[in-house]
Amino acid sequence: MELQKNLQRIILAELLVPLALFIFGAYHGVLQTMYLSGVVRANSVAGIDYYQGLTAHGVINALVLTTFFAVALGYVIVSQALKSKLSEAGATISLVLMLGGAVLAAAMIFAGKASVLYTFYPPLMAHPLFYVGLVLFVVGSWVPLWTWIPVYVRWRKEHPGQKTPMGVVGIFSTFIVWQMATLPVAAEVILQLIPWSLGWTTGVNVMLSRTLFWFFGHPLVYFWLLPTYVMYYTVLPKISGGKLFSDFAGRFTFMGLILLSCPLGLHHQFADPGISTTNKGIQGVLTLLVVIPSLMTAFTIAATLEYSSRKRGGKGLFGWWSKLPYFEADSWLFPYLFCGLVIFIAGGITGIVNASYALNNVIHNTSWVPAHFHLTVGGPIFLGILGGSLYIISGLLKKPVAGKMAALVPYVWMIGTFTFSTGLFMGGLKGVPRRTNLGLTYMNPTSPMYRPDWFLAAHLGMIGGSIMGLAVLIFFIVLIRSLLAKADPALANVPFVFPTSEPLHDEDVPAVRNFAPWVLAGCLLCAAAYYLPLHDIIKNGSSAAPGFRPDNPTAVKTN
Amino acid sequence: MSINVFEKRAMMGAVGAVVVSLGLIAYATWGLGINLPTCIPLGSKPFEQASVTKQDAKTYEVHYVARMWAFEPSVLHVPTGSTLNIYAVTKDVTHGLEIAGTNVNLMVVPGAVANGTVHFSKPGIYTILCHEYCGRGHQNMNARIEVSDSITDYSVEGLPGSEGQKLMDAKGCLACHSVDGTPGVGPTFKGVWGSTVPLADGTTRNFDAAFFVQKVQHPDTMNVKDFAPVMPTIPLTDDETAQIEAYLEGLQK
Repeated sequence: MELQKNLQRIILAELLVPLALFIFGAYHGVLQTMYLSGVVRANSVAGIDYYQGLTAHGVINALVLTTFFAVALGYVIVSQALKSKLSEAGATISLVLMLGGAVLAAAMIFAGKASVLYTFYPPLMAHPLFYVGLVLFVVGSWVPLWTWIPVYVRWRKEHPGQKTPMGVVGIFSTFIVWQMATLPVAAEVILQLIPWSLGWTTGVNVMLSRTLFWFFGHPLVYFWLLPTYVMYYTVLPKISGGKLFSDFAGRFTFMGLILLSCPLGLHHQFADPGISTTNKGIQGVLTLLVVIPSLMTAFTIAATLEYSSRKRGGKGLFGWWSKLPYFEADSWLFPYLFCGLVIFIAGGITGIVNASYALNNVIHNTSWVPAHFHLTVGGPIFLGILGGSLYIISGLLKKPVAGKMAALVPYVWMIGTFTFSTGLFMGGLKGVPRRTNLGLTYMNPTSPMYRPDWFLAAHLGMIGGSIMGLAVLIFFIVLIRSLLAKADPALANVPFVFPTSEPLHDEDVPAVRNFAPWVLAGCLLCAAAYYLPLHDIIKNGSSAAPGFRPDNPTAVKTN
Repeated sequence: MSINVFEKRAMMGAVGAVVVSLGLIAYATWGLGINLPTCIPLGSKPFEQASVTKQDAKTYEVHYVARMWAFEPSVLHVPTGSTLNIYAVTKDVTHGLEIAGTNVNLMVVPGAVANGTVHFSKPGIYTILCHEYCGRGHQNMNARIEVSDSITDYSVEGLPGSEGQKLMDAKGCLACHSVDGTPGVGPTFKGVWGSTVPLADGTTRNFDAAFFVQKVQHPDTMNVKDFAPVMPTIPLTDDETAQIEAYLEGLQK
């Protein structure tokens, strides 16, 4: 079945607009590595201040690009897997709200009114319209799930006893996690930050706002990851030439993430005052439990690739690794997913370091942290978004893709991220702070604060960053060539189909076949994990913090 | 169909990995005594001024005050073998307090008191840096602890002193301008009175009372060479101006 025409247009906008914004996000990413290594020693380059560009880099890459992709992929998969028409009005409302919000937030950032980074911690205060833009964007991203639920309920009624298609399980998990996670941050922004930035209240409880933010901030990373997991469990087995090793593993992973995504945000606040070590410890344990679905995924995907490879003639205990479509023009999507997996091994292990309670003392807020998340959000997630976007855009427009060139991108990117992250990991262990314009002081040989012992780490970061920039450049050449190419007439009447695999082992485990118990358990777990810390913070906290503009050390005057 | 045997083993392996990790964390926490900062209820350690108190021969309690964009005290000298109980508060936005190369890594959040302990068994200069973005001057925000074999007691630099200095602190001047020569968002005030100031337009001016008043009332004029033109307007009464001028004059030695 061909996707509805109007939906196709909306999906194309949801993929192409964020990619266009991403050109700035990537440009400033490369530029940041130059500030950090002291190659650039300035407050700003080309009229964009370091911290302003850093805010844009975070908001565009980590929020706008990721969320739009999740929505677009959701529309493709839900409509195709349920063979149902989806609400075009809902999709339009969602697109308008998200685009409007993203444009508003971006306008405030580029006007220099919101250099507060994408975590927007108070008491740093941005322009009220920055916060309003974020709210519109998030509310817009809620709408799709609400319109898919009735379609899904009808499908369940019409297909009694049938398993929900794996892609739908994955997409629904993605947006259930998103819905649960974004409610507290919406409360932070709507109840605390907007009234405060408008001068209606004189102060905020900063610990409360940090805690509400991180209730959202960590599940956010699972929300980024889940669309890529959907592709690992549906697309990857198919395009590698085989079947998904275990149907159960996929369902278990998605349900496990609904259960565990939210009640663990405190591990971002291990270094915070105002929260007891007991409460930090409880959420630390919950964080480590996420290792279980992640290792299950690692096993299932490896087993899936082995099955595919043996079907393609792969032999031996390790020899089968040589038989996968690493660099084939027709299977160019494979290396995007495969390189993402390789990067994710390093990202996952370093994430366990971050979550391991007192180990956090060594690396908290150092460059170790961006080194880690450029191997997760900058690894499987980003490559999934690039590959998935190119696949859907070219598929819907029936345009050819320069396969070999497209297949090159993830390898170049992988070399870049590994180099970049090696540098930042080394620096982090020496105490190099993250989110700091090092070129003005710590990496400036003319400053008394100069740290020559950070030189190698910072320069490895810059070399890696430049290679990442090169990968992005190649990607855009491929994408633009595709967009400019003539549509393939042979495909004119062939509907676009997102590849979806069959399971090899189709285990029947009823416990993972219903969302409701997992959602309920997840909510109860959140309430249990957050009751005590929130109680302490509200009881002990002060609501008196006035706002500060990032460029002025005197408080903003309120009336 | 039941679950594949290899998959069952993988699942048990995953659970085993988590159990081993948790065991190691428990050992580090209770066995080695390495813990995270905890909750200090407000009211038990309230302070607004930085200070150092000697608790016994080798133990000091240090109260740090963080603000945009400096720590007080800026320099602390202690003998080798000292243990420091550190408490920190912020006067404005959220800051970080990391002593590079140690386990002290704290967030300093408005409305709460951060706490950590560090033992210095080796002499050296330890950098305290702010690792949480706190505005335009964030990359300048640092302090240091000098640990030395050759001293027997602590000494400290960068605590608030005269009326003039208190006034400049209250007005926010010291956020960007140091008084001890450390670089900041704006030029240091050390030795500035009577000196020749190079301006961004290539000319120079003598730093005198007229220049000072002009700069305070019209901060967007006469920008100093190599510094970003970001100074806000700071309203001062005539009395306050005189007090600060007297203080700045005293800084030239």
